[in-house]
Amino acid sequence: MTEAKPATKQRGASQAAVAWRRFRKNKSALAGATVVGFFIFVAVYGVFFAPLPSRSFWCLYNSCADLPPFQNWAHPLGTEPSGIDVFSEILHGALGDLYVGVVATAISVLIGLLVGALAGYRSGVSGALLLGITQIFFVIPVLILILLFARIGQLLVAHGLGLTLIVVILGIFGWPTIAFVTRGEILRIKELEFVQAARSLGASNTRILFRHILLNVLSPIIVLASLLVAGNILTEVVISFLGFGDPSTSTWGLLLQEGFSYVRTSWWVSVFPGIAVVVAVLGFNLLGDGLSDALNPRIRE
Amino acid sequence: MGGLVNYVIRRLLFAIPVFLAVSVITYLITNAAGDPVQIVKFGIRNISPAQLEYLRLYFHEDLPVYIRYFYWLNDFLHGNLGQSLYTGSVVALIVPWIGTTLELQIPALALALAIGVPVGIYSAKHQYTKGDYAITTTAIFGISMPTFWIGIMGIIVFSYYLHWLPAFGAYSSYPPYWWGSPFMDALAHIILPLAVLTLVSIATITRLVRANMLEVLRQDYVLAARASGVSEFKVTFKHALKNAITPVVTIVGLSFGVLLGGAPALETTFSWPGLGKAFVFAATRLDLPTVLGITMIITIMVLIANIVTDLAYAVLDPRVRIT
Repeated sequence: MTEAKPATKQRGASQAAVAWRRFRKNKSALAGATVVGFFIFVAVYGVFFAPLPSRSFWCLYNSCADLPPFQNWAHPLGTEPSGIDVFSEILHGALGDLYVGVVATAISVLIGLLVGALAGYRSGVSGALLLGITQIFFVIPVLILILLFARIGQLLVAHGLGLTLIVVILGIFGWPTIAFVTRGEILRIKELEFVQAARSLGASNTRILFRHILLNVLSPIIVLASLLVAGNILTEVVISFLGFGDPSTSTWGLLLQEGFSYVRTSWWVSVFPGIAVVVAVLGFNLLGDGLSDALNPRIRE
Repeated sequence: MGGLVNYVIRRLLFAIPVFLAVSVITYLITNAAGDPVQIVKFGIRNISPAQLEYLRLYFHEDLPVYIRYFYWLNDFLHGNLGQSLYTGSVVALIVPWIGTTLELQIPALALALAIGVPVGIYSAKHQYTKGDYAITTTAIFGISMPTFWIGIMGIIVFSYYLHWLPAFGAYSSYPPYWWGSPFMDALAHIILPLAVLTLVSIATITRLVRANMLEVLRQDYVLAARASGVSEFKVTFKHALKNAITPVVTIVGLSFGVLLGGAPALETTFSWPGLGKAFVFAATRLDLPTVLGITMIITIMVLIANIVTDLAYAVLDPRVRIT
């Protein structure tokens, strides 16, 4: 075993190097990675640049409510008629959206990998059952159910959970695609020679599953996860826009909801948070597309 | 043909447990939301104890929840979705909403297919040219925008700034009509939401067609066809497209569900009187029977769309029928 280790390590590194070389060549993927990096930076450190605290109505009492953008440099993107500063709120909202996007995706990936691995590795009744449950999610109106759960969850747990409620709901509804892809990949990989070799060497089922198969499944999952972050941010925006989100935490969807009620007079409250959403989601989509090109072994250089 | 019938029957048999599972979950969650009697009580002045008792019996509150569910299921299967907690019966409310939603969704899907499929083929055939880059860049922007936000931008520009189109609703209830007649008025109202929905769907479909086309064009049998002197036009449209389009059919069928699901935000933005807006309105004021009814109706519509898709898939690809 000690002799086998350096060999696998070397091969892994070269695979990663090939992927990295392809990724670097892909301009849109690099742009995506840059945007995602910038988004994470803003989400984490935005608090220090924001002129006002989160959900602050300070301007209402300091005669700077309903300012148009680019006029007063203390409030570069304008303020809402209710006194909320759009620029501060976009900076604070980035954290909320990053939290929803990333943590919900992490939950989905965990469940998806587990279910997909079990369904793929175990043939028979339990595998078929898991596959059936996964397929149900493809034929139901998921967004309607997410909205329903968000609205009623909001009632049942009051405001105790806040954004975490949405994170959990999105996490629960996001795993089927990942499970499906994982299962397909596992069915393909488990027939390959190196798995047979490991089995004939006497490796246990658990070891084969986690050590040999899951590592090879990861590359399509990374791509899917990046696209899922984008999808989760979009869904969060819809939930908050419709008023089923958490009204006390800054998110871009909440800002868009407030903006829509003033859309006739104060267009800037609707425009700028939307641009922030598009940029962040575009970043994750570009990253996912780039990774998919870089990690796809079928595309030859 | 026998294989095809068998296949359809199997898909139908899969749809029934899915419907039941969704209905159980939706029923339980709307039940957990609150006591309908308490909600109705607010609408009635000086409610008498007899009225309260009647309401309790009407909602079967003397029975445990799993028996109530079967009462609801029985009513649902007989076409009775109960009374809204505010006004009217749910069926009478829902039926016109289904029409207005489809009036927006079906033209959008048809237009998006008519434009998205050729654009996707063009993009795949001219990979790494300027045209391809322009198309893929536009498409990735298209899938990165919240649909309703493009709608808001459209309203700001075309309604509030240029005053070309109406900002909300599906028609004007009384004159002055937009562009003269009631028919032109309806047309003026549908343009903006239809354009937004179509643009977003084009982006998704173009990306799918392009990816599938590239995958197929790379395969050996396409190379073989080219080598044996088949014209490039025939290779593209006869050999490659036939295999590239089958996964697109599935995804379009699935995205019909996504379209319907995406309806709530877009319909709310345009105040379009369809199922999605009605769902949001009912969920906001906790009109539980209406929420339950709309959710189940949308579920059934999506299930039907899926069965139709599966059928199309089986016709296009004979391999599917066997497994």
